[in-house]
Amino acid sequence: MIGGIPLSDVLLASGALFCIGIAGALLRRSAIQIFLSIELMMNAANLTLLGYGASLPSREGQIIVFFVIAIAAAEAAVGLAIFVALFRHTETIDVNKIHLLKW
Amino acid sequence: MSAARIVFDLAMVMAILFSGLMVINRNPVKSVLALVVAFFGLAIGYVLLFSPFIAVIQVIVYAGAILVLFLFVLMLLNIGSQPHERSGRPIQTLLGGASVVVFAALLLGTLRGSGSRIPSLSPENPAALSDAGILARTLFSGYLLHFEAVSVLLLAALVGAFVLARRVRRA
Repeated sequence: MIGGIPLSDVLLASGALFCIGIAGALLRRSAIQIFLSIELMMNAANLTLLGYGASLPSREGQIIVFFVIAIAAAEAAVGLAIFVALFRHTETIDVNKIHLLKW
Repeated sequence: MSAARIVFDLAMVMAILFSGLMVINRNPVKSVLALVVAFFGLAIGYVLLFSPFIAVIQVIVYAGAILVLFLFVLMLLNIGSQPHERSGRPIQTLLGGASVVVFAALLLGTLRGSGSRIPSLSPENPAALSDAGILARTLFSGYLLHFEAVSVLLLAALVGAFVLARRVRRA
């Protein structure tokens, strides 16, 4: 129990969010929505880290999440720049229509 | 059932509902906005897990900066909702759906199987966990090198994003 919240609730919510993220990443075709799903999966992992950090109790969970959010910001900037370059090149961000590496 | 647990569960239900909406929606602008609401729900959960600093970071950096960057790119490129058409790749869609179901079943099975072994320690002094001052002292003493490395990484990402998104002039 973390201030009245059982850890199993945290893990269950995190697992559900991660599954929704995987479903989005595998089934969507818009590159932006795939990227959003990956962000959601990262947040599910953050939730687990904070849950265990509060339950142990340890401050390291919060510090790892802090670094994850900083790296997510960097990753989002580079990923969106790639989408902008890709859209200029192919006029679409539908991942099924982008097959430059396929012959 | 404590009040904290009820609020936490409601916030998580809200986050799960809106992230489902994010995946289902065909209009990318609407799905970004749904994800903003989901991240607010997660931030409520973070407060209840004794991490108010991370909750504020979540709202300011994630919901505030990163998702606004997404919206900005969507509106810059003028990407509307995708027309509903068959993907033309039924095998891939089927395999993707099947792997999601298998993964969810595995995760649920693992959680259920280890249900009794999940630690349920209660922090002796939860107020110390949520103190941003102590968190900052830990961050800037034990993790100073990592912090500086992240700042260099952010600079590299800034330069990289600029180079990638620059308009190439063909001679």
